[in-house]
Amino acid sequence: MPSFRALQRANQRKTIALLFGLALLIWLISFAAMTYFGGQGIGIIPIAVAISLISVWGSYYASDKLVVKMTGAKVIEESDNPKLFNLVREVCIASGAPMPKVAIVIDPAPNAFATGRDPEHALIAFTTGILEVMERDELQGVVAHEMAHVLNRDTLVSAVAATSAGAIALMSDFLMRTLWFGGRRDRSNSNPILILLSLVVILLAPIAALLIRSAISRKRESLADATAVEFTRNPTGLRKALEVLARDSTVVAAKSTAVAHIWIESPLDGKAVSQLFATHPPIQERIATLRRLEAGGF
Amino acid sequence: MDIIFIIGGLLLIVIYAVSLYNKLIRLNIQVDEAFAQIEVQLKRRADLIPNLVETVKGYAAHERETFEKVVAARAKSTSATGVQGVAEADNMLTQALRGLLAVAEAYPDLKASTNFMQLQEELSTTENKVAFARQFYNDSVRTLNTAVKAIPTNLFVSIAKVNEREFYEIEDPTERGVPKVSF
Repeated sequence: MPSFRALQRANQRKTIALLFGLALLIWLISFAAMTYFGGQGIGIIPIAVAISLISVWGSYYASDKLVVKMTGAKVIEESDNPKLFNLVREVCIASGAPMPKVAIVIDPAPNAFATGRDPEHALIAFTTGILEVMERDELQGVVAHEMAHVLNRDTLVSAVAATSAGAIALMSDFLMRTLWFGGRRDRSNSNPILILLSLVVILLAPIAALLIRSAISRKRESLADATAVEFTRNPTGLRKALEVLARDSTVVAAKSTAVAHIWIESPLDGKAVSQLFATHPPIQERIATLRRLEAGGF
Repeated sequence: MDIIFIIGGLLLIVIYAVSLYNKLIRLNIQVDEAFAQIEVQLKRRADLIPNLVETVKGYAAHERETFEKVVAARAKSTSATGVQGVAEADNMLTQALRGLLAVAEAYPDLKASTNFMQLQEELSTTENKVAFARQFYNDSVRTLNTAVKAIPTNLFVSIAKVNEREFYEIEDPTERGVPKVSF
């Protein structure tokens, strides 16, 4: 019998394993650079990491403001939508979290997202579509899912994943260029198998990093579903909400790939992107998990 | 050289001990805050009641017994103290309110009135807030009580002067389940 606590633990464990995977990948590509280029290859590691750090952590720090710009969300006051504020405050009481900023995206497609570097700087946004189509208890499930992202620090987790994947991509890129323009191979180490393996690692590491990054995003979605149940003790509300999202075929207009992972339902088409690169678990799978929680008395 | 390691080791032990002590203090404060939150939400609910009673009275003036029950329960809830006392008064008022809403069911005109419909969202959210505040309190107590009993935090219980705390018990079995209102 599954419980939300067991699901939370499992998803946290998997996140840590995947983050270790990314660290291992950085080590592997550094090792490959050493093997292939000798001492000169190692110099690119700090450069790649620094560039990646600067580009990702700037956006992490200002995530609440940046995402608002990218999605066209408008921060609202309590008087603009007292019912939505009631729902958010309820979940804040259930979770012990401070009240986040609440925003609206004018878009008929039902969706929602959460962002912000910590619970004190959190922002949760809802499309006008989701506020129209959902019942009170469904919307409560959605609010709980978004607050779960806030309290699980998912902006931080995805920033760490993005930094690592970004650094790996940069390193691979630098190394490939050096290779192309005839970078000197280290003559002292001429084990042909090792050299070939290094090439394969340099070539494939960015794809592997992207796969791991997507897997982390999926685990965080499952974790947020389980945590939402911890807050509301009502898996039915979120399950019904996800069913509404599954039935609905419209997607948000501002479907930038850069912010795809933050919505409750992926705004990108499932067809085009392979399952392995998806930022969200299949919605039917999420519904099935919540059904099991309902049946098992969570 | 050895002395540095000894001092370093001792320092680590002290830091660890302080963190355990602080954990107990933090959990204890969280229980206090959670209980204060229950009281805030119960006060909110009590403030809603006069308006609700007036609205229902306008349509169902002869249901005097029900009104009296609500008003009496409300009076009791505002003066209750202690976890058990507050929980009992809360429980009484919850039952009385449910009776009042059952009365409202029988008057379609009342249910359709704008005043009542406005109150409905207020009542739903207040009931949810009360239920979630109780849930958060009990979760906080559970975490604290576990820390009080479990090794190694239990070693610091007497220094931190933190004790096991009382759960917020409500008798009504339906209230234990899903905190959701529908009428």
